[in-house]
Amino acid sequence: MDKNKFEFVDQTGEEKETIRPSLTYWEDAFRRLKKNKLSVIGFVVVIIIILFGVVGPYLTPYTYSSQINEYKNLGPIIEVHEVDGKYFHVSKDYNMFLLEEDGTLIERLNLNPMDRDMINKIYTYTLGEEEVILDFSYNLLPNKQGYDYDYTIEYNGEVSKIPSGNKFNKLFPFGTDNLGRDLLTRVMYGARISLLVAFVATMVNFFIGVIYGSISGFEGGRVDNVMMRIVDVINSIPLVIYVILLMVWFRGGGLMNIIIALSSVYWVAMARLVRGQMLSIKEQEFVLAAKVMGVSKRKIIFRHLIPNAMGPIIVSMAMMIPSAVFTESFLSFIGLGVSAPQASWGTLANNALSGLLSYPYQLFFPALSIAFTMLAFNFIGDGLRDALDPRLRKG
Amino acid sequence: MRSFYIKRIISIIITIILITSLTFTMMHSIPGGPFTRERPVPDEILRALNEKYNLDDPKIVQYFNYMKGLVTFDLGPSYSKIGTSVNEMIESGFPVSAKIGLIATLLIVVLGIPFGIISALKQNQTIDYVVMVLATLGITVPSFVIATLFIYFFAGKLGWVPTFGLSTPASYVGPVLALAGYSLSFVTRLTRSSMLEVMRQDYIRTARANGLKEFSVIYKHAIKNALIPVVTYIGPMIAAILTGSFVIEKIFAIPGIGRHFVESVSNRDYTTIMGITVFYAFFYLIMIFLVDIAYSLLDPRIKLKEGK
Repeated sequence: MDKNKFEFVDQTGEEKETIRPSLTYWEDAFRRLKKNKLSVIGFVVVIIIILFGVVGPYLTPYTYSSQINEYKNLGPIIEVHEVDGKYFHVSKDYNMFLLEEDGTLIERLNLNPMDRDMINKIYTYTLGEEEVILDFSYNLLPNKQGYDYDYTIEYNGEVSKIPSGNKFNKLFPFGTDNLGRDLLTRVMYGARISLLVAFVATMVNFFIGVIYGSISGFEGGRVDNVMMRIVDVINSIPLVIYVILLMVWFRGGGLMNIIIALSSVYWVAMARLVRGQMLSIKEQEFVLAAKVMGVSKRKIIFRHLIPNAMGPIIVSMAMMIPSAVFTESFLSFIGLGVSAPQASWGTLANNALSGLLSYPYQLFFPALSIAFTMLAFNFIGDGLRDALDPRLRKG
Repeated sequence: MRSFYIKRIISIIITIILITSLTFTMMHSIPGGPFTRERPVPDEILRALNEKYNLDDPKIVQYFNYMKGLVTFDLGPSYSKIGTSVNEMIESGFPVSAKIGLIATLLIVVLGIPFGIISALKQNQTIDYVVMVLATLGITVPSFVIATLFIYFFAGKLGWVPTFGLSTPASYVGPVLALAGYSLSFVTRLTRSSMLEVMRQDYIRTARANGLKEFSVIYKHAIKNALIPVVTYIGPMIAAILTGSFVIEKIFAIPGIGRHFVESVSNRDYTTIMGITVFYAFFYLIMIFLVDIAYSLLDPRIKLKEGK
C-alpha cells in the first residue's frame, strides 16, 4: 500500500472539541419542547382557541343572548329546493325560508294559521302576493308507499320534489339553537367561559396547592402529619362530589361559584405533589447552606425550594387545565353550570341533548370544541412532561 | 398485618363521620331550609312540614339524630319525593348502577390491558397507531359526548338499540361504552407505557439470552410487572365510574343511583343529597380498602404498613 496516501495527524494542534453553548434548565427544556411536534401543534391550537374566544365574539353581528325568532333550529348546512328561479328551504319543523342562490337566508315565509291544513298535511305560505305550497303528506304514509321524497314544494305551478343541493348557511355558519341564537357566537362565548374557569381555577389551585404542600413538606413531623391527614380525608371520596355539594350549597350556578367550587377542592392533588418534591429537595446541600447562612424559612421555601420543584408543578398545571374544562362541562351538563343565558360548552351540549335526533349539529360544535381543547392541552402536557421531567432526560 | 386492618377500618369510620358532619353542616347552613321554593309555601304548611321532619329542633339535636340514623343505616326520608326514604332510593338504584359499573369494569380489564400489551409489543406499527389514536380520543372526548353520539347513531339513525332505559341486552352497550370510555383509554395507555418500560429492563434481556421463548418472556416475566401501575389505577377508576354514572344515567334515563343523585341535586332534596353522598363515600372507601388488600396479595413487595 502506498504510504504516501497516509497523512500524519497534526500532533501539535489541540483536538477539536465540539463546544455546545451551555444551556440553563429552562433553555434546555424549551429546546426540547420545540422539537416535540405534537406539543407545538397543541400550543398553536390553544392560541387559536383563545383568540376564537377572546376576539371572535366581536366579529359576529350577534351577541350570545340575542334571539332571532324567525330563525330557530337552522343547521349549518341547508337543503335548498330550486323552484321557478327561487330558492327555498324547509326546516324540520316545517318553516319555509326564502334564500339567495348562495345559501344566504332572506326571510321566513309567512304562514297564516288558516292556511295550515293539518289533516291533509298541506301548508300554504305567502311570498308577497304569491303562494308557496308545501305538501308533506308523503312523509306520513305507511312506508311512504314507494315515494322516495318526503315533501314537495309548489311555487308558480312548478313542483320540486328533490332538493337541488346543499348550501352552507351564510348567516349562521354553525346554525342556530332552539331560541334562534347564533351558535357560532355562543360557542365563542362558551370558549371564553370554559377557558376562564379552567385558567382561574388552575391558578388558584396552584397557589393554594404549592403553599400548602411546601409548608407541609418543609416543616415535616407533626405539622406534616396533620396537614396530610386533612388532604387524605378530602381525597377519600371522589372530588367531583365535593364540587357538586359546594354548588348545591351556593344555591346554583354562576361563573364565580363554579370557579370557587373547583378551586377549593382540586388543590389537594397539587399539594401532594409539591409535598413529595419538597421532601426530596429539602435534604439537598444548598438548602443546608442557606439554613447555615441564616436565611429565613419563608425565603428558603419561596426562593430555593419552590423554583427547584417548578418542573413537575408546571406539568401538573398543564394537566389540570383540561381536567378543569372537563369538570366544568360535566357540571354544566348536569345543570350546575353558569346561569342562562350565559353558556359554556357543557351547557351548550346539555341544551342540545333534548333535540339531539333532529338537530345533531347543536351538539357537534360544542363537543368538538371540548375535544379539541382537551386534545391540545394533553399534547402540551405530554410535551412539557418530556421536556421538564429530568428522569426522562437521555444522555 | 392485623393491626393494619384495624387501623384502616378505624380511619374509614373517622372519615365517614367527618364527611357526614361536613355534608350535614353544608346542607343545613343553606339559607332558607329545604322547603323554600320559588313559589312561597304557605306558612302553616311550612310549619307542619318542619314539625313532621323535626326541623324545629336545635341543629345539634338534628345532627345527633342523623348520626343515630346513620349507625342503623337509616338515612331518613326524602324531602321532595314524598313517601320515599333515601334507603329505598339507594336500594332500588344501586343494583342497576352496580351492574353497569361492573360490566364497564370488566370491559376495561378485558379490552384495555390486552390492547395496551399488543400495542406495546407492536410499537410503531399500524396496530399501535390505531390503538393509540383511539385511546387518545377516548381520553379527550367527554363521556356525555360519547353517550349522545351513541344515541344519535345507533338508536336514532340505525335503530339498533332503544334510546333509553335498559329493556334489552343491547341497550347496555351504550351506557357501558360511555362509562368505560375514559378509563378504558387510560388503562390502555398506561399498560402500553408500562409494558414498554418493562421490556427494556435487564431481566427481560437476561430471559431472552437464556433462550426462553418469546411467549414465556412476555407472559411469565414481563406482564406481571407491567401490570403493577395498572392495578394502582383501580382506585381512581372506581371514582371515575361512580361519578361518570351521574351523566350516563341521566342521558340514557337509567333509574340508577347516579340519576337519583343528580335529580336530588336539581330538586334541592337535601336529605337525599346527604344520604347518597355518605353512601358514595362509604362505598368508595370500602372499595379502596379491598383494592389495597388485593394489591398486597398480588405484589409481595408491597407490605401494608401504617401511613404512607
